[in-house]
Amino acid sequence: MNRHVLSILIALAAVQPALANDAAIAVNDATREAYTQPVPAMEETDRAKFLKGRGLVRQIWVIPPSENREIAGLGPLYNRLSCIACHPANGRGFAPENKDEPMRAMLVRLSVPGSDPHGGPLPHSAYGGQLNENGVPGVAGEGRAEIRYTTHTVTLHGGEKITLRKPSFRFTDLAYGAMPKNLMTSPRIAPSIFGLGLLEAVPDSTLVALASVSKPTGIKGKINLVWDEEQKKSVPGRFGWKANMPNLRQQIAGAFVGDMGVTSPLFQQENCMLAQSECAKSPSAGKPELNKEQLDATEFYHFALAVPQRRDTDDRRVQRGAKLFDQAQCGACHVSELKTGEFSKYPTLANRTIHPYTDLLLHDMGEALADHRPDYLASGREWRTPPLWGIGLAQKVEPRANFLHDGRARTLLEAVLWHDGEAAPAARSVKQMTLQDRHALIRFLESL
Amino acid sequence: MTKWIVSLCFLLLSQLATATEKVVVVSSYPQEVISQFEAAFEKKYPQYRLEILWRQSRDAMSYLHQPHSPVDVYWTPAQRNFVMLAKEGAFHKLDIELQGLPKKIGGFQISDTEGYYVAHETAGYGMAYHPAELERLHLPVPTDWKTLTDPAFDGRVMLPIPSKVGYAPILIDTLLQSYGWEQGWQVLSQIAANAVLADAGATFISDDVGSGRVAVGMTIDFFAVSAIANGKPLRFTYPERVGYSPAHVGIFKEASNLKGARAFASFVLSDEGQQLLFHPDIRKLPVRPSVYAKKPQGYFDPFAAAQRATYDYDVASGLQRQDVVSALFDALITRHHTELKAMHQALRRAEQKSSADVRLAEARIHAYWLPLSLAQINDATLQQSFIKRDGKTESIEKQWDAEISAHYAQATRIALTIAEGKP
Repeated sequence: MNRHVLSILIALAAVQPALANDAAIAVNDATREAYTQPVPAMEETDRAKFLKGRGLVRQIWVIPPSENREIAGLGPLYNRLSCIACHPANGRGFAPENKDEPMRAMLVRLSVPGSDPHGGPLPHSAYGGQLNENGVPGVAGEGRAEIRYTTHTVTLHGGEKITLRKPSFRFTDLAYGAMPKNLMTSPRIAPSIFGLGLLEAVPDSTLVALASVSKPTGIKGKINLVWDEEQKKSVPGRFGWKANMPNLRQQIAGAFVGDMGVTSPLFQQENCMLAQSECAKSPSAGKPELNKEQLDATEFYHFALAVPQRRDTDDRRVQRGAKLFDQAQCGACHVSELKTGEFSKYPTLANRTIHPYTDLLLHDMGEALADHRPDYLASGREWRTPPLWGIGLAQKVEPRANFLHDGRARTLLEAVLWHDGEAAPAARSVKQMTLQDRHALIRFLESL
Repeated sequence: MTKWIVSLCFLLLSQLATATEKVVVVSSYPQEVISQFEAAFEKKYPQYRLEILWRQSRDAMSYLHQPHSPVDVYWTPAQRNFVMLAKEGAFHKLDIELQGLPKKIGGFQISDTEGYYVAHETAGYGMAYHPAELERLHLPVPTDWKTLTDPAFDGRVMLPIPSKVGYAPILIDTLLQSYGWEQGWQVLSQIAANAVLADAGATFISDDVGSGRVAVGMTIDFFAVSAIANGKPLRFTYPERVGYSPAHVGIFKEASNLKGARAFASFVLSDEGQQLLFHPDIRKLPVRPSVYAKKPQGYFDPFAAAQRATYDYDVASGLQRQDVVSALFDALITRHHTELKAMHQALRRAEQKSSADVRLAEARIHAYWLPLSLAQINDATLQQSFIKRDGKTESIEKQWDAEISAHYAQATRIALTIAEGKP
């Protein structure tokens, strides 16, 4: 048994009550700014770079041509104007409440059967890999995705009734032709963006160990293997709802070009498909629009964003909730403790013990959550375990914040109740808990 | 046939029910403001979708002066652009309900007297401070700009550079108009002697105050007040005579969706739109006095403040001379900050040594010497030179630099002579 497996087993066996994050990388901030603080260990000399990155993440991008060359590059096709439009205060996004409300902090990924040369999803020939609802003047936005919900009620032990909503989507105002019948779609809300540097600093070997370690019956856990644009090879994925991104730099550059049409050293082509002739004729602000220095600063900002320290750990309900979390085997996937390794990109994050509550692996979450859209090795039923740290502040930071990949869950309990597949026994345990215990479990999650 | 027509009508109606029209708005508001207004407007008017063309002030003017797709609304904090665009005849006269929207806050004109554009909100200037830091340093809570001239604040104040920080020109001009041209520069000089200067990207003076790098920051209110509302351990105080930076809304003559433009302009001025300004992420000051009845606890009410103390601020003059004032600030303060600090240190030592020394008056004449009088700063040709940054400004600034250096050196020399007890 190697050292990593041993430490993971120790982590899996750990009882939760007071897993405080290392004070060097966590902030005692429970305000609406909790996700925007640098790690306390950040050197003063890095402050300017952090602020530059923050400025770029907060920046609303300008349609070229513009006198402000350094912030120009929006479009030709785009979803939103800035990073924080979808990640308000660096937090998670939300789904529209009804069909009339546009997607303001989520998008719909698109693909057709098959795979690209690197094993990733095959983009649609006219619409590409995601629906860009907006276009710059003279370029038609691709269309709208309308959301509708059907609801059903789940009765839990003790008689508590919870109404769950299931979204369905319809495209309207399509500007580049009808969508094919075999189109695969996957709606995604924006995830929060703090603590990601620490997750990148977790060694690949830990992921391998986590995937191979023995887990409770029915729980597996699989590494996604995804294309690394800089290394030009397949590597373990760890970011994104399906772990389809290998590292933060590619995640950031991908979001810049995919969501805002801002090119960067990693993705130098504008987001126009062949059929989108007006898009192709539209001016660029530069080649690339986000230069290396700006990409470096944005990446550094993400590396240096601290995680919020846990709260209310002395509360007996929180402590009870932590025990219930373990008893229900939630921690088999939402692994409470990991260790970062050497991390030359930002050594401040190296060799830290962290409490992210994720294994960064893919798990079958059942039919109800399935998008039926494979993404590299992730099947249509598989999703990456999202980290839970800081989740208790999600709706304080952004009151409209939702949970799960498509934002269908309005509360943490709703999110738990949607768990199925490998997580079905855990969800069943929660349903069978007493009302008091269920509240304690939620209090525990709120303390993270 | 009838059945066919009925189904066609039904189809058309259902299409109409789902179709949305764009309202194209040029703005430079931050995402937080846009997100709140976009969501609320589109909820109230689901038939419209807001399309924001985001442009900073100068860039917006370039864009609007070049051939472009029609724009419906200009909604932004860029007062000078509104003045220029109105002069160029770019706006419709606002034919929407404007009752309950005063054109002035005390003596501060906020809306166009001709009615081509109207204030949508305003921000006020004041001081963000860190109470714990002030207490630790045994410094008083500032009540007016002049508090910051106290040598006890040395190194504890942050002063934004108007040529670099977007909101700072009106802040600086507010001091110059409220104290008067010469006294205003004296106050600024004394504050600068205590100050750390804030460069571009200083929209977060609240960060520097919050982290304790400085104890007080001169700033526009909403950055700090929003940070406070979201949990930062700061306070914000307004001076006796508050300066304002209003943002406006105007409808373009070229608007292709006039109805949508009117709906949006009416919405931002309505009770509902005005109350959105109270949101913790925005914290701007509504221009509809009636909504202050619903203000969050402790929220500043500029109309009430104007009842207590007011002064006539000449907005037109302030805007016209903005570039010259910023250039003068750079000459007097930014480029000679080290000399200025040393000079004030010498003056303070001299005053301690012998406040009755007649040579102090001469030292002060040099210390507060200005290259331009009030009459000269209001010269339209000079103002245009600095707005356009034509070929003349470089030599003018070089001359200012040489003269200012000489005067600061002379003031320092005299002050040191007094301080060292020399005849």
